[in-house]
Amino acid sequence: MFGSIADLVSAAEESGEPISELMIREECAGSGRTRDQVWSRMDRDLDVMLAAVKRGSEGRGVFSKTGLSGGEAALLDKYRRERTTLSGDTMVRALVAAMATNEVNAAMGVICATPTAGSSGTLPGVITALRERIDLSREGQVRCLFTAGAFGLVTANNAMIAGATGGCQAEVGSASAMAAAAAVEAAGGDPQTCAEAFAMAMSNLLGLVCDPVAGLVEVPCVKRNAIGTANALICADIALSGGTNKIPADQVVEAMKSIGEAMPASLRETGVGGLAGTPVGSEFRKTIFGD
Amino acid sequence: MMGKYRSVFDIIGPVMIGPSSSHTAGAVSIGRIGHILAGGMPDRVIIRYYESFARTHRGHGTDYAIVSGLLGLDPDDPKVPNAMAIARAVGVDIEFVEEDGDSPIHHPNTVVLDMVRAGETISLWACSIGGGTIEVRRIRLGGYDVRPSGPLPMLFVEEDGRQDDVDASLARIQAVLGQEGEPVRKTIYPMVDDEDRRMVGFDLDHPLSAAQRERIGSLSSRIMYLE
Repeated sequence: MFGSIADLVSAAEESGEPISELMIREECAGSGRTRDQVWSRMDRDLDVMLAAVKRGSEGRGVFSKTGLSGGEAALLDKYRRERTTLSGDTMVRALVAAMATNEVNAAMGVICATPTAGSSGTLPGVITALRERIDLSREGQVRCLFTAGAFGLVTANNAMIAGATGGCQAEVGSASAMAAAAAVEAAGGDPQTCAEAFAMAMSNLLGLVCDPVAGLVEVPCVKRNAIGTANALICADIALSGGTNKIPADQVVEAMKSIGEAMPASLRETGVGGLAGTPVGSEFRKTIFGD
Repeated sequence: MMGKYRSVFDIIGPVMIGPSSSHTAGAVSIGRIGHILAGGMPDRVIIRYYESFARTHRGHGTDYAIVSGLLGLDPDDPKVPNAMAIARAVGVDIEFVEEDGDSPIHHPNTVVLDMVRAGETISLWACSIGGGTIEVRRIRLGGYDVRPSGPLPMLFVEEDGRQDDVDASLARIQAVLGQEGEPVRKTIYPMVDDEDRRMVGFDLDHPLSAAQRERIGSLSSRIMYLE
């Protein structure tokens, strides 16, 4: 088990292998399963992610029972096809995938939590961009999930990944950082560059609170995944260009943890403060639950 | 030091029905532990929520998630959102309580299940720590008060009789666990009212195979395997 991101990077540098390969080996050793078993389980997880993207972006999309979310991934995709987008076609396709996944989640569809259900769109968004932009193979996409998982394990064990304990920075912040590291490996970056991208992406989302309207995983969660995806791609590019975060990844994780612990309960997945506590947010709660 | 999260699939996964990994998928897993402890769907259950669970259980589908687990469903079973109707149809008595106080096990995603099955009372204190991973903090059943310290999976075996017999029995179980000669992480919980009977908890590094479970089942009359 990797105790820190520094350990992960130095192990990968010593063995000359990508972080995804180290994660696969570690998983085999820890679970007693073969490489084929571990690989095919991850391959199935990728299938679930891609199916959710398809379901949420096709036709008019999907809608939650409450009416708070749905249909906007499909709307964004239609806009992309008909108009000149401001952030570019690859980026908008990635945002469609991210939002589609979380709209499926809100509509009680099947998703793969990465690392959580609330942040399940971020990684599929980034994988969609990598497929579009660098023609990433199926094998490369599965590898992305192992790389992301390695960084996520360190984050979960050294800080937290639940909105109720650390706010949205622990969910979408972690997902975005994991995805940034995975994108760097997919684009041919070395392990230290993965760690820089991770550190940057997490730094950018530090302090983000978990303030779901009516306590539902809809507003602002769906669009928070769009920012998680965009942030991951931006930070991967900055890291690949040679930019560094100055504060090392492990210390950013420590900072995320201490910020999470300092957050009041009203901003940790209680549906009380922040956007949930606005007049319109409170009104939604009354309309949906009658109190 | 072993982390709370051990597998890459704790992070990439679970595959689940939305909307929340902690409040829905994790809640299904907590319900499943209740199902195993009670030996099936309880006849009556009081589901007590604390902190974030108390505030957001309705929005996150926590109610049907816990009941799904109590019914023995998996987190990705399409029947999960309909679990309340299924449970009502079989006549289970379910009560939900939003507790005002702090979590008795100091975690914002806490649920306590007070269950009755075939006249026996069973209580479970558990929390959902994020990404669908859960921790079992306390179990009260059959005269035992068990307070596990590590993450799942865990194995509990009830032993009674003379110390020599117990030692021999534990050695046989350890052999099946593949921990011969290694320091085994186990905790012994004496029965509250009968010190000659005890529950032995084993902390496991990875899940038991079906063959291991079968062999251990043949070694002791009462085992509980939680994963």
